Amino acid sequence: MNTQGPLLEVQDLQTHFSTDEGVVKAVDGVDFTIRQGETFCLVGESGCGKSVTAFSILQIVQDPGRIVRGSIHLRQDDGQTLDLAAMDPKGRALRRIRGRDIAMIFQEPMTSLSPVHTVGDQISETLRLHAPIDKLQAREQTMAILTRVGIPRPERHFHAYPFQLSGGMRQRVMIAMALICRPSLLIADEPTTALDVTMQAVILDLIKELQGEMGMSVMLITHNLGVVAEVADTVAVMYLGRIVESADVYSLFREPKHPYTTALLRSIPVIGLTKQERLATIRGMVPHPFNRPHGCTFHPRCDHFMPGVCNRSLPPITHLEGGRTVRCFLYGGADTREREER
Amino acid sequence: MSGMKETAISEKPMDTGQPLLEIKNLKMHFPIQKGVFRRITDYVRAVDGASLAVKRGETFGLVGESGCGKTTLGRCIMRVYRPTAGQILYHEDGRTVDLCALNNEELKPYRRKIRMIFQDPHGSLNPRMTVLDIVGDALRVHGIASGTELEDRVSDLLRRVGLRSEYLRRYPHALSGGERQRIGIARALVLEPALVVCDEPVSALDVSVQAQTLNLLQDLQAEFGLTYLFVAHDLSVVEHLSDRTAVMYVGKLVEFADTKALYVNPRHPYTEALLSAVPIADPRMRERGGRIRLEGDVADPAHPPTGCYFHPRCRYARQRCLEEEPILRDLGGDHGVACHFSEEIELRGAVMVNG
Repeated sequence: MNTQGPLLEVQDLQTHFSTDEGVVKAVDGVDFTIRQGETFCLVGESGCGKSVTAFSILQIVQDPGRIVRGSIHLRQDDGQTLDLAAMDPKGRALRRIRGRDIAMIFQEPMTSLSPVHTVGDQISETLRLHAPIDKLQAREQTMAILTRVGIPRPERHFHAYPFQLSGGMRQRVMIAMALICRPSLLIADEPTTALDVTMQAVILDLIKELQGEMGMSVMLITHNLGVVAEVADTVAVMYLGRIVESADVYSLFREPKHPYTTALLRSIPVIGLTKQERLATIRGMVPHPFNRPHGCTFHPRCDHFMPGVCNRSLPPITHLEGGRTVRCFLYGGADTREREER
Repeated sequence: MSGMKETAISEKPMDTGQPLLEIKNLKMHFPIQKGVFRRITDYVRAVDGASLAVKRGETFGLVGESGCGKTTLGRCIMRVYRPTAGQILYHEDGRTVDLCALNNEELKPYRRKIRMIFQDPHGSLNPRMTVLDIVGDALRVHGIASGTELEDRVSDLLRRVGLRSEYLRRYPHALSGGERQRIGIARALVLEPALVVCDEPVSALDVSVQAQTLNLLQDLQAEFGLTYLFVAHDLSVVEHLSDRTAVMYVGKLVEFADTKALYVNPRHPYTEALLSAVPIADPRMRERGGRIRLEGDVADPAHPPTGCYFHPRCRYARQRCLEEEPILRDLGGDHGVACHFSEEIELRGAVMVNG
């Protein structure tokens, strides 16, 4: 991990969806920092807001989603910082960032590639949008990146349509397209969830290698704790729109602090570890976004629930040693005077 | 979860006599039709000579990558398809029936004995039916119960899968993914089956709900003496649940064994590669090294390679593997493998975190 300065700083990000039935606070006050060259993993269950967080960075949140608060500071190559949250989602300035400074790969490559354009055309279009080069140069560079991501016979596959490729090959094409402009940040939203376990290992290795070569930062969004343990430098755990804990990967797995993280880690079967025993479970289920519990949103499922504390107010972010943060009253922030009164 | 008790730890009644289900050289070939006249030009060999035996009371895990034919195999057992060749022998009270040879009318009693749990809890429940109808429909079709008796039986079963009886009148859209999967499980169990084919029952669920569902499946197995054929691609889930496990590759079984033996001491190079690819939820294991990268893609089941189907991706392949197809042979100790060189090559199993 080459730890240089922060590349991306997100502060108090709130992205809400106003629907007829009410406001869904998909992202409700998220803070994190991604440093240059590191792999930052955002982990959580479906509906926790991890994908919306990623979409917010590029301002590609679907209607009726809006960033209502917060800032997203991106440091550019010339040392200047830009607040992406303040930019016009449809403006030219932000369009220049997308694909050049920050690129994204999605879970399902078939739906994110154009079915009516060849692989080569799609990749070289990205390049020609951002760099002043002619068709021939674009073609050469496309060929080079296709070779680099491991597409066999790139001169033939340049003219292939996505449906002619297998799932693993499509994901390689997505990676090639994302990396063609050498972005400083790659956002990968569940890049291996649709793939088989052997292909998953190959794609994760490929991302890691390319990250080393290009020195970019990677923001990986996943629900798979195994993948997190394999690739992350820093991890943030999300639950119902908030980051409940963040830490470096070794500390998080060795000594999880937040009860949700602890429970999550205990509930997955690990090869060679849990045979025939019962799995620890988290009782209940993730509440519906319209009726979020008051106070700490995890309190109805928590084993350490403190009545009168956890259900009264939102726990603040507590900073622990080693740069860790946790949002839980067990680690301070509770108003003790009020507790005694009760 | 209200209905779930922490009592039942899986102590299964292991009747090690005759297997409950035996599959012998099963083939399921789907025709590829082309042109105006829908002429059959070729076949997709989804299942191409699979043999296995499921013992009474056990959980038999079936793993493999997408497209390897594991789901098709499960559906053949349900007789959703009429297999191209081979036998599916169902043993019961000393009698043996070949399910492949039966017509729809003759199959009806066996449709009660073998039931299925599906992967997608959203797609497998009819949105226009209430929970009572979904679960109770099978009772009505088989003429087992109706009216209040049916309702009682369904609400009793719902309680066993951890749902309150208020759920009877609800529609699937009002339920969460985990609750829907419980409905799917209740529907499978309502006819008191002997064998349940679980086709990726937890793949679509979140981590925390997945653990609840796996525990529920174990409890129900102990309670009702069920036999499971557990089809999944997640090797850690299969290891957790299964007594014995088989690995499929392009329509064939390449290895089967006692689960622990298969994971610790695999004898087929494909099993080794699969195990090495599973990410381990412990960052300290990162430096273990030796991850096997499989080159290329899974073979096309319409045009499989010659000899051993795995040879183009196998790092131990020799000339013989190109020419001769290996048969599934017993290495002793109920460990079967389809590889010419199992005895000669040394393979690594899964890393055991606890040493």
